[in-house]
Amino acid sequence: MPQRPVTINGKRHVIEADDAMPLLWVLRDLLGMTGTKYGCGAGVCGSCTVLENGRAIRSCQTNFSDTGDKSYTTIEGLSAAGDHPIQKAWLAEDVAQCGYCQPGMILELRSLLRSKASPSSAEIDAALSDHVCRCGSYPRIRKAALLAAKSGGGR
Amino acid sequence: MRTDRRTFIQLCAATSGALVLGVDFAEAAEETAKPFEPNAWLRIEPDGRIVMKVGKSEMGQGVRTSLPMILAEELDVAVESIYIEQASPGPSFKGLGTGGSGSIMGQWMRLRPAGAAARAMLVAAAAERWGVSASTLQTSNGAVVDGPTKRRATYAELASDAAKQPVPEKPQLKDRKSYRIVGTSRKRTDGPDIVTGRARYGIDVRVPGMLYAVVARAPQWGSKVESFDATAAKKVSGVRHVLQIPNGVAVVADNTWAAMRGREALRVNWTVSPHASFDSVEHMKALERAIEKPALTIRKDAEGRAAFEKVKKTYEATYSYPFAAHAALEPLNCTVFVGEGKATVWSPTQTPNGVHAAATQVLGLPESAITVNVMLIGGGFGRRLGVDFDREALEIAKLVKGTPVQLVWSREDDMRHGYFQAASVHRLAAGFDDEERLVAWEHRKASTPHNARSVPTKDDKVNPETVRGWAWGVYDMPYFIASAEMSYAVVDAPVPIGPWRAVFSPPSVFARECFIDEIAQETKRDPLKLRLTLLGADDPSVSPIFDVADEHIDRRRLRKVLETVAEKSGWATPVAAGRARGIACNVFHTETYIAYVVEVSLKKAGAMPFRVERVVCALDCGVAVNPLGVAQQVESGVIWSLSNMKSEITVRNGSVQQGFYTDFPVVMIDETPMSIETHIVASDDDRPHGLGEPAVCPFAPAVVNALSRLTGKRIRSLPVKL
Repeated sequence: MPQRPVTINGKRHVIEADDAMPLLWVLRDLLGMTGTKYGCGAGVCGSCTVLENGRAIRSCQTNFSDTGDKSYTTIEGLSAAGDHPIQKAWLAEDVAQCGYCQPGMILELRSLLRSKASPSSAEIDAALSDHVCRCGSYPRIRKAALLAAKSGGGR
Repeated sequence: MRTDRRTFIQLCAATSGALVLGVDFAEAAEETAKPFEPNAWLRIEPDGRIVMKVGKSEMGQGVRTSLPMILAEELDVAVESIYIEQASPGPSFKGLGTGGSGSIMGQWMRLRPAGAAARAMLVAAAAERWGVSASTLQTSNGAVVDGPTKRRATYAELASDAAKQPVPEKPQLKDRKSYRIVGTSRKRTDGPDIVTGRARYGIDVRVPGMLYAVVARAPQWGSKVESFDATAAKKVSGVRHVLQIPNGVAVVADNTWAAMRGREALRVNWTVSPHASFDSVEHMKALERAIEKPALTIRKDAEGRAAFEKVKKTYEATYSYPFAAHAALEPLNCTVFVGEGKATVWSPTQTPNGVHAAATQVLGLPESAITVNVMLIGGGFGRRLGVDFDREALEIAKLVKGTPVQLVWSREDDMRHGYFQAASVHRLAAGFDDEERLVAWEHRKASTPHNARSVPTKDDKVNPETVRGWAWGVYDMPYFIASAEMSYAVVDAPVPIGPWRAVFSPPSVFARECFIDEIAQETKRDPLKLRLTLLGADDPSVSPIFDVADEHIDRRRLRKVLETVAEKSGWATPVAAGRARGIACNVFHTETYIAYVVEVSLKKAGAMPFRVERVVCALDCGVAVNPLGVAQQVESGVIWSLSNMKSEITVRNGSVQQGFYTDFPVVMIDETPMSIETHIVASDDDRPHGLGEPAVCPFAPAVVNALSRLTGKRIRSLPVKL
């Protein structure tokens, strides 16, 4: 099996895995980084979202062979101390219920705020509209997203 | 000697739990520094740390936040000073289980005496030390204080002496007026772990050397493995084992993905299913036929249905509700390690003792040899009251003894092999007298009882008391109508049916509350006013208290939430152009009283052809322990219920047709109401009642009532098709 280097949260790992193995399982099963969640494996629910060179992608739809020279950020790497403005906004609005979808939601929002620092509520809805939260934390996600934008979540 | 944490937990597990530990610790007198543990729920470590056992599974309802509040209140410590540990089943915890919206009430009964007893023992220890009467001492924020002398001793200082005090049998509980913590809004204790990815759900369990498994299950209910060919599966890189288990064929691999690929390569021949022709469209027709005539009567008031012979006018309608899946985001999973004469299970379970029992059966080991770790749950909603997935993991782990293995269900597995909400059909009839007063009521429900965890017997199906237990929302109809009769027709189906958020209520309350709206429209009455009238607002002869079976309904409390929701929503004011309002209410298990007013428009919202513009909720849950948590459960119930207006499970040729969030679409953020307000009504009820399920029931009918008014076309089935 091929060995490849992949950069995750600023750290270079050399991993041996099948070319077609989705990044999701590289993270979860080979590296033990379980913050990235499996929800559907079909790119539909958004819970496996990670940042690829700063942009949100679905790690269940990204083959290991395509990760090559790119840099990835998972929820574990969003901030060293767990105090990124988005995380702080999430805690301020007490968003989470079961919490399972939240890493994907947070990273999707990180990606949005990077390209658009002050999105409208409708733009937030549009950016997060393919992320499932079965508990229904959406009203608080909206509030936290607006708060995060105001407090520099796009920086 | 200081025992380490692991040893200590094992020591605790070996004792018999509540109220005997004073004796146990007296016997272990050589221990100098030992925790004070007046009961199974709490201990105070020699270093002063207060450790509480959380006896409910955390699945987003906030028990790891609200339950410590209850203990902190009675113990008189800061909530922040409590460390929590998840309780594991064993001698001290024989009845762990999370369901029925009963967490807060169930633990209220246990944690208040637990906290109060500990506090009394700490006070008694201080009194003895200082040679004063306990009645002269107070507690404050983790310390006992002697007012006159200003002496002060922390709980940590008193813990070892307190352990020698007798455990009070009936400790004095705090008066409601003196609560400092209960009733204040607290944010989730798990929040920081969740936003950093540290929160560990069942599927996140990682044990050195573990393997991962998926199972090929019968595509149709009732089929068994006839034969299988594992040749191709075993060629998949990373696949270690292909094993037959009672429920199918397991592929065990180095990682989840390899296991999934191995399953794709696996060839299984299944026996012919006895249910191969089952079709949900035909099933709905069977339900419709079943309500053509009355079935088993489960409640009869006055003349019952005979009253319809004397009425001036009868109005009827038939409602239907589809099968529905839980579709929790974390797919079902369970991790098991079977060692020599012992085993460890990690499960995101709502029924830890059920898992414990299943493990003893499958592994043939005594309970004392099996540790069940209750993991965080990525959405429960009742599905994880089943132990089918735990059993599969146990069967696999038994075959790969010595190696830990994690079973993961794929999304399709989770959707297709669910324990579903039962489809149902409801026929309602209202009889009016000369003055168009509602004097007769009939509600017939046809549905399938729970059959997934245990199958009801023939006798069960004809026992009115048993059947009544399957008809929440039907027999506990809260309105006063002179004559009423409710009946239930059992229609069997091979579809596995199990508890699903609010269980039997959502379909019944949907039918009942929509029908009330129809009656109001038919008789040109305001639907709020009609409800208030039927709850005795204008007629002192209508009993405010209404008892049926073991349910005890206070109609005044339901009126109060209706009046509150009307006031807060501006019910009496004109609604904006292009919108309509709808209202509905319910009493969930005589405990939580709740009403919604919604405003809807026909603007598109995401994939939905209508939009819920505004939601106003009023509720009376007795004591609201954590009002923030109450509001979150309302928001959650709203979204859950709205999803039911969007999706359904259908069955063809004995197989569930849906497998993903694409064909069983749940509500997304762009379909979410822009505003959801929760108003908690002050209540004389001094007990706290649940919200997880109650918040679901009356929302769908409120929306459907609004849509029916807006479109001029009555909607009588879900999902909504405009």
